[in-house]
Amino acid sequence: MSGDAQARPAGQTPAPLLALRQVSKSFGAVEALVAVDLEVHAHEVVALVGDNGAGKSTLAKVVAGVLTPDAGLVELDGETVQVPTPSAAHALGIATVFQDLALCENLDVTANLFLGRERMAGGLLAEGEMETQTRATLDALNARIPSVRTPLAQLSAGQRQSVAIARTLIGSPRLVVLDEPTAALSVVQTAEVLMHIERLRDLGLGVVLISHNMNDVRAVADRIVVLRHGRNNGTFDAASASYESIIAAITGASHAGARG
Amino acid sequence: MTAVATPQQTKGPQQPSPVAGLKELVTRNMRTSGIYIAFVAIVALFAVLTGGLSLSPRNVTSLVLQYSYILILAIGMVIVIVAGHIDLSVGSVVALTGAIAAILVIQDGRPWWVGAVAALAVGLAIGAWQGFWVAYVGVPAFIVTLAGMLLFRGLTLIVLDNISLSPFGQPYTNVAGGFLNGLLGGNGFDAFTLIIAAIAVVGYAYSQLRARQGRIRYQQTVEAMPLFVVKILAVAAVVMWFAWQLAHERGLPIVLIILAVLIIAYSVVTTRTVFGRHVYAIGGNLAAAQLSGVKVKRVNFWIFVNMGFLAALAGVVFSSRSNGAQPAAGQMFELDAIAACFIGGASVSGGIGRVGGAMVGGLIMAVMSNGMSLMGVNQSWQSVVKGLVLLLAVAYDIYNKRRASAGR
Repeated sequence: MSGDAQARPAGQTPAPLLALRQVSKSFGAVEALVAVDLEVHAHEVVALVGDNGAGKSTLAKVVAGVLTPDAGLVELDGETVQVPTPSAAHALGIATVFQDLALCENLDVTANLFLGRERMAGGLLAEGEMETQTRATLDALNARIPSVRTPLAQLSAGQRQSVAIARTLIGSPRLVVLDEPTAALSVVQTAEVLMHIERLRDLGLGVVLISHNMNDVRAVADRIVVLRHGRNNGTFDAASASYESIIAAITGASHAGARG
Repeated sequence: MTAVATPQQTKGPQQPSPVAGLKELVTRNMRTSGIYIAFVAIVALFAVLTGGLSLSPRNVTSLVLQYSYILILAIGMVIVIVAGHIDLSVGSVVALTGAIAAILVIQDGRPWWVGAVAALAVGLAIGAWQGFWVAYVGVPAFIVTLAGMLLFRGLTLIVLDNISLSPFGQPYTNVAGGFLNGLLGGNGFDAFTLIIAAIAVVGYAYSQLRARQGRIRYQQTVEAMPLFVVKILAVAAVVMWFAWQLAHERGLPIVLIILAVLIIAYSVVTTRTVFGRHVYAIGGNLAAAQLSGVKVKRVNFWIFVNMGFLAALAGVVFSSRSNGAQPAAGQMFELDAIAACFIGGASVSGGIGRVGGAMVGGLIMAVMSNGMSLMGVNQSWQSVVKGLVLLLAVAYDIYNKRRASAGR
């Protein structure tokens, strides 16, 4: 790995939390991902940027276990793992918030947080325990939800995004993947979601933030990975890289050059 | 004067103001209690129109016996509808399972319970068959159950060889026509019925009180205490009056006990179990349910197995009540059950609906049919009226939903 804008030289740190090695995925003749590399460490927000159709969401779905890669390896803590289903991803400590909100509007906040992993007591739902934990999780994110029993249909778009992010924290994950979490949000709501992302990092999680909003990315990301036409096209240190150089990598005005 | 304990809504930029909260509470209450108000109004209307005849002990008893099987079907149907499906085959399943029981009991002379158990087993098998096509092959439930409607009607004709079988005789007919009477005596009335009803009332009051305390703990809006007490007393009065009427006629119908057990059991299943939660999730957002790890296929499969079981139970109750099996039994039952769910507040698009609502919806249909029959209104006009009520109920639901989403 000898990229010109590499922020974290390989070998200096322990094995990354998540590493994708030469991952490829095609849909028929369309090459969505071609030999993509990605590393995410704990306590780190890695932004995955790129134009529409660059393969960001496909990459997120590979990590989340929704799609299986055609080639390449997924490594967690340096060990190769298989992620065939969303449940498998969750069992490995990978939680994902998908672009189209994966929430049920007819259910309340608690029911959504625990959907698919309900707590039981004596054969019935342990509502009390789930409510307590929902409240604790929302507090950990500083999320502002009036009641953990409010149906989702009565919440604003920003509050729903808070619930979606809080959902990822159920079951103590190590890695959270957020696919366009600030799309369609107001300025205030966006600020709140970015604050949640920083909280996730403070909690010691690795975060993959997929976005094409440069302001959001530069506000919270530690490292910025650019995808173009399903290929790596540069990795930047968010603190030092210039806006222009990132845009150039996204649009293809600059190329990553020879990469290992 | 409906709202107190408005939650502390000082946090967050997006909170509705307390005034909006009050408005919200009123509209939501209209949505959930509207059905009960409508039910009371319809009961009162027919009491006046029939000169009190519709509320007589005999008529109240026969109302229970006559519509119990529709209510049993509606319990299964509301689960099917909440998950976003539909089941058009239940009428034919009622006929087929009744026919199986008749063959075994009447033709082969086996004991009554062999017929009943065989009918339930066939119902489970039918449910598994339809669940397989819906859940694992992915054929829309509308098509699978439309096919089932034809299929099982045809099988009924084959099994019965196109003729009616009757009579079942005593033990079997007790399922729908039997009464528990005189267990504890009573002077001209059945004390047992009253005691059971009193226990039910106390249980209801207790569960409501607990639910209310739970809502207060989570700072949710609840009705004022006097209103709450009035609500409990109103329900208690209706239940005790109902029991009083039954106690002065023939006692506690066995089928009412079956129905009560089913209603309580399925209320728990739909609101307090993982299965129920997943049914609502599938109906609310199928993609989200799938991504969350809900085993959608398995849940869909069991929804139809359950519907098959309840349809078979309705088949046993219906054949018991009619004391025989007819090739044309159960026709239009599916439509009555579906109408009961929609009148009871189930959403056409899935995700919303409750067992209790479907029961009240079914009772509204029952009281209307029964009242109109007492008045001598002929079947054709009854059909017209029921059709209009269904249309208005769903239109009201859609109107409410549109207003709710516009207000967000």
